[in-house]
Amino acid sequence: MIHPKLDDKNVTAFIPGTIIDVKVKKGQEVKQGDVLVILDAMKMHNRLIAPSAGKVKEVKVKPGDRVSKGALLVSIE
Amino acid sequence: MPLKNKIEELKKRKEEVLQGGGEQAVAKQVAMGKLTARERIIALLDEDSFNEYDMFVEHDARDFGMDGKVLHGDGVIIGTGTIFGAPVAVYAQDFTVAGGSLGSMHARKITKIMDYALRMRIPLIGINDSGGARIQEGVNSLAGYGEIFWRNTLSSGIIPQISVILGPCAGGAVYSPALTDFVFVVDKISKMFITGPEVIKSVLGEEISQEDLGGAKVHAQITGNAHFYAESEYECFEQIKKLITYIPWNNTRKARRFEPKEPKVNFNIEDIVPGDPKEPYDVRDVIRAIADDSDFFEIQEKWAANIVIGFGRLNGETVGFVANQPLVMAGVLDVDSSDKAARFVRYCDAFNIPLVTLVDLPGYLPGIDQEHAGVIRHGAKLLYAYSEATVPKMTVILRKAYGGGYIAMSSRHLRADFVFAWPSAEIAVMGPEGAANIIFRKEISEAPDPEAMRRQKVEEYKEKFANPYVAAAKGYIDTVIEPAETRKLLLHALEVSSTKVADRPFKKHGIPPF
Repeated sequence: MIHPKLDDKNVTAFIPGTIIDVKVKKGQEVKQGDVLVILDAMKMHNRLIAPSAGKVKEVKVKPGDRVSKGALLVSIE
Repeated sequence: MPLKNKIEELKKRKEEVLQGGGEQAVAKQVAMGKLTARERIIALLDEDSFNEYDMFVEHDARDFGMDGKVLHGDGVIIGTGTIFGAPVAVYAQDFTVAGGSLGSMHARKITKIMDYALRMRIPLIGINDSGGARIQEGVNSLAGYGEIFWRNTLSSGIIPQISVILGPCAGGAVYSPALTDFVFVVDKISKMFITGPEVIKSVLGEEISQEDLGGAKVHAQITGNAHFYAESEYECFEQIKKLITYIPWNNTRKARRFEPKEPKVNFNIEDIVPGDPKEPYDVRDVIRAIADDSDFFEIQEKWAANIVIGFGRLNGETVGFVANQPLVMAGVLDVDSSDKAARFVRYCDAFNIPLVTLVDLPGYLPGIDQEHAGVIRHGAKLLYAYSEATVPKMTVILRKAYGGGYIAMSSRHLRADFVFAWPSAEIAVMGPEGAANIIFRKEISEAPDPEAMRRQKVEEYKEKFANPYVAAAKGYIDTVIEPAETRKLLLHALEVSSTKVADRPFKKHGIPPF
């Protein structure tokens, strides 16, 4: 059992919002800190970044999608 | 016996104590990737500055076969020394001696050095590495913990208290660090929890490792119990030494003054904050563009990162920076970020460290979990801390300052001494979208094209209210400044507030929303 904040493989939405950009594709290699998705919420274009380096396993969203809090956006393997 | 022989005997006795728990126990400590208690003290203090006391203290337990058992120094080393010439009192639990377990004499050594630190008004550094209470000493060891906690509380706000967790620190033992000002943890070495994995498993059936339950990362990122995280013990000691340079010896003094230095040229303050208020940036770069030598010593970097706290210097003098971080969760205030900033504000206030607050936040984080986690009570801590603080308080509003967030972030109304706003500042009761929807509800719903009317009203509101001039017209901010003038004005503010008087009515103490 590990706390979700220490989960360095799955990127989720910290608040409901609209996806305005997706910067990565499935299978792409990413470095820690690379921007994966831009989420419009709380008057901000929030940059959601890769918590660790690896290959993008799955991209669950596309631009224009409304996402709820905690929704899985991108996972890294 | 001639004196020479007596000196020889003293040397022999000392030599014995210096062995700690003996070769085997030391080998075990090394195998765990840990330094010994003595190595730690040497690494932390100025060369040859350590003077040890109570070396020959012996335990007085008689039960459970303890009679006649030798425990060198009773498992803890105490003494005084210096860090960059500043005096400090230190204790270090020695895990090689009976697992660093806390018996009554062990506790008495710790409380002796704590009393000394308080009397001399010098910082106290406690290095924790202990299996916990010495079971053979029963309730005496509990009494020992209680005496330590009482002194931690007594000394709080008078001398800086630093806890270093370099091994297990479990059960009641965790409350001493929790009562101190700064807690340092090291990856894979520090373990802190009230009830460990075995108890959790037997009572609840839940399985978790010590590391996942209370390791260094857990406390640095999730719980906020730790203030500084390091990859190695040596890195940890460097962090402690650096911290000591920023803080005063006690609450009657100012921190040591350093040679003033201009910020580095690569932090150009006009290039950091994007013009579009929806674009994020790293507020720490703004701090680096303002602080002497662009040096910013961040505290609790990984926990509640939507607010940034830490020390820097202005014109050689230590200041505490508090800043919303647009890069993380849009810089919102929530339960954790309010707790984090509030405690830091109180620290700075207790130790005569002026506060510089940089504001750019959309407001409080909405959500059922936040409300039910008590964001009212936690958010109130920040208001309380700023209102209560009497050190010089300077506020710079960089961009967004809306609603309750504007008030909470060291506003004029909570007695900020200076409030500056950049021309990019937006100071209003709420964001244009929300405000226009409420104020012009009727016009919007009755318009032939409600969406077009809504956009028009949002634009009108933005133009009229999303700026610093409405607040400036009321004197809520002192002046609208160019970003490039920020450092110059802060230096000036610091200079004119060095003789600040802020009297408050006498009270025993307030009732902050703990």
